[in-house]
Amino acid sequence: MSIELPAKSKMRIFVVFLLFISAICGSTNVDTISGEVKIKNVDRIIDCSSQLVKTTSKITLENTGKAPLKNFLLAVESSVKDNLSFLGVKDSNNKDLRLSETVVKGYGDVRFYRVDLKDPLNVGSTAVVVAEAVLTKALQPYPTAITQQEDQLVKFIGNLYFFSPYHVTSQKTNVILNTKTIESFTKVKPFSQLDGTLVYGAYANIGPFTEKELSVHFKNNSPFLTVSRIERLIEVSHWGNIAIEEKIEIEHTGAKLKGPFSRYDYQQDHHSGPASVRSYKTFLPASAADVYYRDTNGNISTSNMKVKKDSVELDLRPRYPLFGGWKTHYTLGYNVPSYEYLYHSGNEYLLKMRVIDHVVDDMQVDELVTKVILPEGAHSIKANFPYPLTRLPDTLHYTYLDTQGRPVITFTKRNVVENHIQDFQLRYTFPTIFMLREPLLVVASLYTLFLCVIIYVRLDFSIHKEAHVKAN
Amino acid sequence: MPATIAAKPVNGPDQGIFHNTAGFSTLITVTVLTLAWLAGFASRLFAVIRFESIIHEFDPWFNYRSTAYMVEHGFYNFLNWFDERAWYPLGRIVGGTVYPGLMLTSGTIHWFLHALNIPIHIRDICVFLAPVFSGLTAIATYLLTSELWSRGAGLFAACFIAIVPGYSSRSVAGSYDNEGIAIFALQFTYYLWLKSVKSGSVFWSVCTALSYFYMVSAWGGYVFIINLIPLHVFVLLIMGRFSQRLFVSYTVFYIIGLVFSMQIPFVGFQPIRTSEHMAASGVFALLMAVGALKYLHSLNPKGEWKQLLILGTIVAAGAVFLAVVALTYMGIIAPWSGRFYSLWDTGYAKIHIPIIASVSEHQPTTWSSFFFDLHVLVCTFPVGLWYCIKNINDERVFVALYALSAVYFAGVMVRLMLTLTPVVCVLAGIAFSIILELVLKEEDTTQAPIETEEVKNDKSGKAKKRVQETVQAQDQGPGLYARPGTVIAFMILLMLFSVHCTWATSNAYSSPSIVLASYGNDGSRRILDDFREAYGWLSQNTAEDARIMSWWDYGYQIAGMGNRTTLVDNNTWNNSHIALVGKAMASNETAAYEIMSMLDVDYVLVIFGGAIGYSGDDINKFIWMVRIAEGEHPKDIHEADYFTERGEYRIDAEGSKTMLNCLMYKLSYYRYDSGGSPPGYDRTRNALPGNRGFKLTYLEESYTTEHWLVRIYRVKKRDEFNRPRVPLAKRTIPTSNSISKKTSKRRKGLLKNKPTVVKGKKMRLE
Repeated sequence: MSIELPAKSKMRIFVVFLLFISAICGSTNVDTISGEVKIKNVDRIIDCSSQLVKTTSKITLENTGKAPLKNFLLAVESSVKDNLSFLGVKDSNNKDLRLSETVVKGYGDVRFYRVDLKDPLNVGSTAVVVAEAVLTKALQPYPTAITQQEDQLVKFIGNLYFFSPYHVTSQKTNVILNTKTIESFTKVKPFSQLDGTLVYGAYANIGPFTEKELSVHFKNNSPFLTVSRIERLIEVSHWGNIAIEEKIEIEHTGAKLKGPFSRYDYQQDHHSGPASVRSYKTFLPASAADVYYRDTNGNISTSNMKVKKDSVELDLRPRYPLFGGWKTHYTLGYNVPSYEYLYHSGNEYLLKMRVIDHVVDDMQVDELVTKVILPEGAHSIKANFPYPLTRLPDTLHYTYLDTQGRPVITFTKRNVVENHIQDFQLRYTFPTIFMLREPLLVVASLYTLFLCVIIYVRLDFSIHKEAHVKAN
Repeated sequence: MPATIAAKPVNGPDQGIFHNTAGFSTLITVTVLTLAWLAGFASRLFAVIRFESIIHEFDPWFNYRSTAYMVEHGFYNFLNWFDERAWYPLGRIVGGTVYPGLMLTSGTIHWFLHALNIPIHIRDICVFLAPVFSGLTAIATYLLTSELWSRGAGLFAACFIAIVPGYSSRSVAGSYDNEGIAIFALQFTYYLWLKSVKSGSVFWSVCTALSYFYMVSAWGGYVFIINLIPLHVFVLLIMGRFSQRLFVSYTVFYIIGLVFSMQIPFVGFQPIRTSEHMAASGVFALLMAVGALKYLHSLNPKGEWKQLLILGTIVAAGAVFLAVVALTYMGIIAPWSGRFYSLWDTGYAKIHIPIIASVSEHQPTTWSSFFFDLHVLVCTFPVGLWYCIKNINDERVFVALYALSAVYFAGVMVRLMLTLTPVVCVLAGIAFSIILELVLKEEDTTQAPIETEEVKNDKSGKAKKRVQETVQAQDQGPGLYARPGTVIAFMILLMLFSVHCTWATSNAYSSPSIVLASYGNDGSRRILDDFREAYGWLSQNTAEDARIMSWWDYGYQIAGMGNRTTLVDNNTWNNSHIALVGKAMASNETAAYEIMSMLDVDYVLVIFGGAIGYSGDDINKFIWMVRIAEGEHPKDIHEADYFTERGEYRIDAEGSKTMLNCLMYKLSYYRYDSGGSPPGYDRTRNALPGNRGFKLTYLEESYTTEHWLVRIYRVKKRDEFNRPRVPLAKRTIPTSNSISKKTSKRRKGLLKNKPTVVKGKKMRLE
């Protein structure tokens, strides 16, 4: 079980680490917009069918300059930069490209990312990259409050054109809504409406940083579940077990429930409360065992578990259906065997686990706190993260028979989505002999106890009776 | 359990054989007590295994909540805790109105375990506290019984109390209540008392006082001790059994116990100001008088003094009695409280304090529940009592008094079955021990005595004959088989007893009552978790300071699980407040709204069992709400109005009009159209509700749980209902079109043109 990571991934870890460092130090990069890059074509898909807005843009780059192009810039409008949760770029071979935040002078409002190409783009040639962005809270329920029987209508306001620092020759946008109930949408010719999809374009020759409002108002009854806070606790035991416990606070952030809740209507008609969430699915690792699901009042008896080939599927039903504005909280815990996640070579250990795991499909997490409790005596801890995270100060945790406390690594991140389900790595040193400490402690204390009893029984500590009588 | 039962008979002969080897008998004692502890612990875990580790019922939720508060905020903050979440708007001074022993006990355990870095949640400590203490009770009972009779009897008694349903009914896992630890404190105090009476040593008296202090801190039932011990002393005095030992032990115990008991904030000055405690001080004064007279008597132990002594005692007793009566009349000593009157006059509570009578555990005990809770012990304990009276000494007087008073109290109130159970176990243990000793001991010695008899009575030849007969004749079987027969019969009885105990604990006393289970036709189990569903909803989806009105039964649960403010709860200290809630429930919607807005109620919670046939719901309790409300508001509420003309309590079309229009009825049946066939059928009362399809004006349904068990309504604010709802389409008033320029010019003042005013008028006209 020694660590044999390929050099490439080692390299990648290093790169990610650098990225992390750079993110912590604040973006010191300054770039300029090159006039030699042109975008020949953009095919954009804006998926609004869930609570998230997922944008996939297929960009065809062209180098019109004189030197090979090593990198290019992606821009994010100031209006959505707070909603942007994830941005990733892949090349035509579906490989991730390196991305770093940067600043361009004169464009203080706009957020820029520099994308480094794998192979420099030769003069006059073109390359295709795919940029994927996930926006949270970009769909606003409108009206903001609905009654039990009503459908949930949401409004999406975005940019009709691909926002770019470069000139875009031709572009096309598909807005996927998955519904035919569209109240209103922006009409800029040429456009067409296929069932559940709005097609805009092709628009020709749009200049850099062009913004035009794209507004769609449509029915969206998909679960608007926001995990307002998740605290993920990973407790590593070298006796072969890793215990994971997640404390989750979840809220329905769609249109709020207006007026009464009628159980009668909810029971009679299964289409009642279309925007409410009765249950949802959580996927756990395939080796998860001893799953529990409870809150402060005890076990939540309404849940089912299915063990599948590659995962454990939990069908979680909160104690009550969630309507707009309703909240719930619970604790979900399980055990996984450590051999799947913990590698070692001698006394050097490597823990490789997910920063966050699946809670609900198309989840959006406001605040994530992950705590990793390492065994007592672990030292020289080094952490590698797949994307920038805030690492909080290390603490100590005391549990059964601990004397010096277990080191706890804590890190946090806001605005997290499914794309952030990636592994972090934790390297530490743990002398194996330390594993014997706690059993020896028990043995020693019992031994001392028995010894004391033996001594107590053999010796007479009482004031001698006869002497006592004589004294009287 | 069979293990302990099997272990007991071993003790009988072994005690005989290894009489001198103290080590062996200690081993057996320790083994039996450990097994009794384990058996007692295990038999109390049914609820945890069937459901989960959870706090049960009503009062335990308060105890748990205050324990959690104490663990979080520290002991002194707990003592000063003013709970603004209860008895809105009055609040409750918790520190001064609880017996803190229970919280302190589990808090100490929690503190100790956490000092060892054992991260056990306080809830689990609370859940398992009572089962653990049942083992300690078994040990205390063993000590008490061995003090009274013998160690063998003690082991029997310990095994009995470990599993007897009368005690496990109050101490199953999750039943985190005062009784769980109080029975241990009770038994242990009695043991120490007997020890001190026996020895007359100050040390044991002080121990008794300390144990009594623990009992006072744990349970209001300490009054039983502080009356029983003086009664014991008094009876001993009457029996002429005064001794220096008695004098020392009682005076020391009384003074130290008195001072200690006054340290509990909830008890305070009660021990010197209330009638319940006067017996103790009266006996103390009497004992002093008797001691003084005895001393005078000892100075000149001759003729006349004897009569003077008796006369003096009687005069002293009369003087003490008169002094207490006089002080009571002068108002210095509070008279007996209602709860105590109801012990002497069983009809008292029903007439004067309906709130006490409304609790099912305050009803008189039925005969069957004696058998159900004690099984074979109820038949055998008189035997033990008889033996104790036959071989009377100072301690056995005590146990006889204990038995007699406890039997009386258990007959008055179901709840006090709990105080009877320990003494029944003690006496039954003695009875079984005597019987088995008779049967088993003689078996060992039969050969030897007869032979010696043979030698001694050689002349008569009778013995010889008998020996021959036992060897040869089969027709004198009964004599031969009597002993094994008795042994087998008693073994079977004990086995049946343990089976019954397990069965009763499992079926009758191990329901958490906040989680219900129903069984389908195929035997599958469905969990009805409606209570926690509702409380969970309350805790997450109502304002932090929302005030919930419900009947007092659910007060502690709403505070504990829902974490919201309640108006009334299970600490029924303020009858008029409860009556006000009862009045709101019993009034019609309009009158109820006045009360609810007076009390700032945000939500109303009712329990409705009609959909699933749950009988403990609010409609079935409703008549008590009416009675309690009538007690305080006789002008507005009349119990007779809620019955039909024929005096029936019904909810169908024949029900009385007041009943069908009161708030409780409406909240229970609002939009209730599901259920069985026909729709809207009430499965608890097997009737079709008489008033259906009504609308609520002042409240709206906020939440109803999956099985309709808990229904929560929001009380509307005043601006929400006193104007008719206008559909969106009609809200705009075509002012410019309908009113001509002329008329608008003629109208002076802007007010009239304000759309709201015009709209209101328009609507009314329509």
